[in-house]
Amino acid sequence: MEYVSPEGLRLDGRRPMEMRQIRAEIGAVSKADGSAIFEMGNTKVIAAVYGPREVQNRSQQISSHALVRCEYCMANFSTGDRMRKSKGDRRSTEISLVIRQTMEACILTHLLPRSQIDIYVQVLQADGGTRSACINAATLALADAGIPMRDLVTSCSAGYLNSTPLLDLNYVEDSAGGPDVTLGILPKLDKVTLLQMDSKLPIDILENVMQLAIEGCKAIANYIREILLANTKQLEYRRGV
Amino acid sequence: MEEEKEAVMVTPGEVLGRTSDVKAGRGAYAALHNNTVYASLTGFRHTVPPAPDSSDLRPTVEVTGHKAHGPVPQPGSVVIARVTKVMARSASADIMCVGPKSVREKFTGIIRQQDVRATEIDKVDMHLSFHPGDIVRALVLSLGDARAYFLSTAKNELGVVSAESIAGATMVPVSWTEMQCPLTGQIEQRKVAKAAS
Repeated sequence: MEYVSPEGLRLDGRRPMEMRQIRAEIGAVSKADGSAIFEMGNTKVIAAVYGPREVQNRSQQISSHALVRCEYCMANFSTGDRMRKSKGDRRSTEISLVIRQTMEACILTHLLPRSQIDIYVQVLQADGGTRSACINAATLALADAGIPMRDLVTSCSAGYLNSTPLLDLNYVEDSAGGPDVTLGILPKLDKVTLLQMDSKLPIDILENVMQLAIEGCKAIANYIREILLANTKQLEYRRGV
Repeated sequence: MEEEKEAVMVTPGEVLGRTSDVKAGRGAYAALHNNTVYASLTGFRHTVPPAPDSSDLRPTVEVTGHKAHGPVPQPGSVVIARVTKVMARSASADIMCVGPKSVREKFTGIIRQQDVRATEIDKVDMHLSFHPGDIVRALVLSLGDARAYFLSTAKNELGVVSAESIAGATMVPVSWTEMQCPLTGQIEQRKVAKAAS
């Protein structure tokens, strides 16, 4: 199968270095302290943050910094085939741990001792890149909740098909069996907080693919900052400041 | 300075200055590895001039978050709480309002035996003063220990303001130690708050 045409277009008409359309919305869950909806193309993710609040399990309380917990799940209707998986399957547990570690690295947990921050992420529609979309949605929700962070963590995926690095794979490209790199960075601090890869890739090509993913992450960070600033302006206008 | 007049909005991770020029205040943090001050919240950036007598001449930069957190009980504020547990020497309560505002997060308070009333402290019986489910008006004495605020009802205006009888009706206060059920006429003992009128 051919994923990049000789004219340089992908199956959905994008260039190799082009991202899918990004949309974000803040404040989708009114009961949560912070919430956000994030869309990357046909992938749609909703995230809700509760906290900082009292630790529910006293035995898990940490006296020097906050406890960050994350729960990830995919809705049954989010994929092409309707799923019947339970909540604790291996993939959900792994992605929950990945999101928790990524967020723990960016939240200033030492400012909130003996407290708990709960992040709930749910995939409403999956079309590849769900991991990246979940991390971006969680970052937006944390910023909406007013939790102090070192930087906004943004995530993007990249791949390598038909001898071409591709940015922001969709489901068809993800299922092609080629390498898939998921990268999460702190764009202003220029640090990597997450790096995952499937399949095999030569080391020099990996650096090219990583560089492409880094540029994608920075583009997402710019968009997220615009969303946050617009939301803050709207709130100030509504408050009459 | 121009920075104080202009309302600049920042997001987490944006550079606010160098540690040699500014100090990190609320909503900002200093990264020691590269001597830079970053924002940690989304909101407006403010610059606070240094105190005149301070030896440190650097101004403090702050970020005011847009998220409105609920009120926090302070020592000296009057709170409305719901009693959750009554023990021999203390009673636990969940703080629901701080003054006229309701709280968003959960705050726990403790009314100790010596703080129930101002007179006859040694003769206080906790079970004759409060019941689980009562709504009490109390004064915050201190932040207490790490788990709960210390509350006091040792004034005439403080104490139980609303209680339910065994029959399920809201009782009417008849004296500063008694409440009566309007359905059954049963009299129960409480540390009753003086009416506001």
